[in-house]
Amino acid sequence: MKNNSIEIIKQGRRLRRRRWILVTSLLFILAIALCCAMLLLGNTIYPVNDVIRTLSGEQIKGVTFAVNTIRLPRMLAGLFAGFAFGIAGYIFQTMLRNPLANPNVIGITSGSSAAAVFCIVILHTSNTVVSIVSVIAALITVILIYLLSKGRTFSIGRLILVGIGIQAMLDAFISYVLLKGDQQDIPAAIRWLSGSLNGSQMDELPPLVIAVLICTPIVLLLGKHLSILELGEQAATTLGVRTDLARILLIVSSVCMIALATATTGPIAFVSFLAGPIAKRIVGIGFSSIIPAGLVGANLVLAADLIGQFAFEVRFPVGIITGILGAPYLIFLLIRMNRKGDL
Amino acid sequence: MISPHVFKAEKIEAGYENKKILHEVSLTIPSNKISVIIGANACGKSTLLKTLARLIKPTSGSITLDDKPISKIPAKELARIVGLLPQSPIVPEGISVADLVGRGRFPHQSLFSGWTKKDYEAVADAMDIMNITELANRNIDELSGGQRQRVWIAMALAQQTDILFLDEPTTFLDITYQVEILDLLTDLNRKRGTTIVMVLHDINLSARYADYIFAMHSGKLAAEGKPSDVITSTLIKDIFGLNSTVIEDPVSGSPNVVPIGRYHADRV
Repeated sequence: MKNNSIEIIKQGRRLRRRRWILVTSLLFILAIALCCAMLLLGNTIYPVNDVIRTLSGEQIKGVTFAVNTIRLPRMLAGLFAGFAFGIAGYIFQTMLRNPLANPNVIGITSGSSAAAVFCIVILHTSNTVVSIVSVIAALITVILIYLLSKGRTFSIGRLILVGIGIQAMLDAFISYVLLKGDQQDIPAAIRWLSGSLNGSQMDELPPLVIAVLICTPIVLLLGKHLSILELGEQAATTLGVRTDLARILLIVSSVCMIALATATTGPIAFVSFLAGPIAKRIVGIGFSSIIPAGLVGANLVLAADLIGQFAFEVRFPVGIITGILGAPYLIFLLIRMNRKGDL
Repeated sequence: MISPHVFKAEKIEAGYENKKILHEVSLTIPSNKISVIIGANACGKSTLLKTLARLIKPTSGSITLDDKPISKIPAKELARIVGLLPQSPIVPEGISVADLVGRGRFPHQSLFSGWTKKDYEAVADAMDIMNITELANRNIDELSGGQRQRVWIAMALAQQTDILFLDEPTTFLDITYQVEILDLLTDLNRKRGTTIVMVLHDINLSARYADYIFAMHSGKLAAEGKPSDVITSTLIKDIFGLNSTVIEDPVSGSPNVVPIGRYHADRV
């Protein structure tokens, strides 16, 4: 009887693990394919050979500039920012058990965006300063949302509504600073309103890449804790999780990733909101979707940027495309949650 | 059989800033027995259970496990000895029954390790006891309330603690499921010697299944002891303000409270 039960459980887990590995590998392969497309496609399509040669350091007239200076940083920015948005969004949504509770909806991205805009347009500071300030601003936004929504007992619904309010305020601030700033800087303005990979430069990337490389392992290490926090405060305490510590570590790692991604590409609309639910849907029941959510985020950004660049006569920044994808899903979710009485 | 533990609360008080809920409650939980906390709504029985199970920090007094204050025992170590089934646990979306039960293994696992042989055994065991093995690979979202409750208890069982607290494990369940759950918990106590402490609403079921009763009234312990010694019409009057007559339960021989309302008072 008992051996039989163990076999049933083992078999189910084996099947779920197999599906997880399959889905994750497919997402990974898709991401690589999209990265290649980002390098190969553009105003001029260079031969694959030339692209590989320039990437390995050879100088080829025209190709080197287009690939190494324009396409490569654009691809890397999309890849890392998408990955960071996806993971951070998934962690917030899981920890707060609500798909609306993600950095994009509750104003955390707007916090770092506002700080970045202020530093760049008004103070003209260096990239390093922009990165540091945007991380600090995002953390302050988190603390502010938490304090304002705390009340007598903690409620996720209130947190989301307070977050939406704060986001509206910060977005107004961003618009104000942009209007006050140099009118010639329209492309930059678009970047800070909905996110764009246009004009990404190699020297802007290191803070984001470092944050992703440090924070991803931390978050993965805490994956088990996250799955327990998902069961609620009482169950987590009972199971021996030091809830405050685990929560703070998860929030700080996610916020670092999201803030640096925002400081690099602007708040690419809805990626952190969409990646988690999509990843969960395709991974199915059971296994942690942290890595799949990151890969879905990266794929979303890269695919949306390719669509924005080549599908229309006019070139659209990536954030416009993800916005078009995300907004209907937000409405769908609101209607569904309203029906279920979750909101 | 599980080795005995001494779980003691001494003069504990708990509550919110300006409203004390527990007033100097002292008790020792009978080891390897089933204890039930009874009392009227808002008498502090749930607060008492939560305070014992470390969900609420007492404002004064001490709670000790084998003479060690529980606040000094590392969280994971304590979680291997003392478990709790909360009153309304939160159902995560999109998870299989087996994986949810497996989350009860957290205090036994290290940061990286996957499931060990022991984890599989504990999960299979817990699911067999609760009769949910055939649901193992189903999505928790698809289950009924009664099935879910069994999954939650299985998760608490997979934790394999010597002491298990349950906050109203039978609420919202049909009478059939209530009896079934209480039978299963009794199996657990008789087979493994697990010390069980639970809050129950139904006095008669409490009297049937409890080895020991703690009766609460206005945040204080009003009486404690074997059901046959404690449950009398005087006590019921004291803690519930209800007139009643106590008869012998024809099935179990335990005390059975028959309430007397205004409409039937003249027949007594």
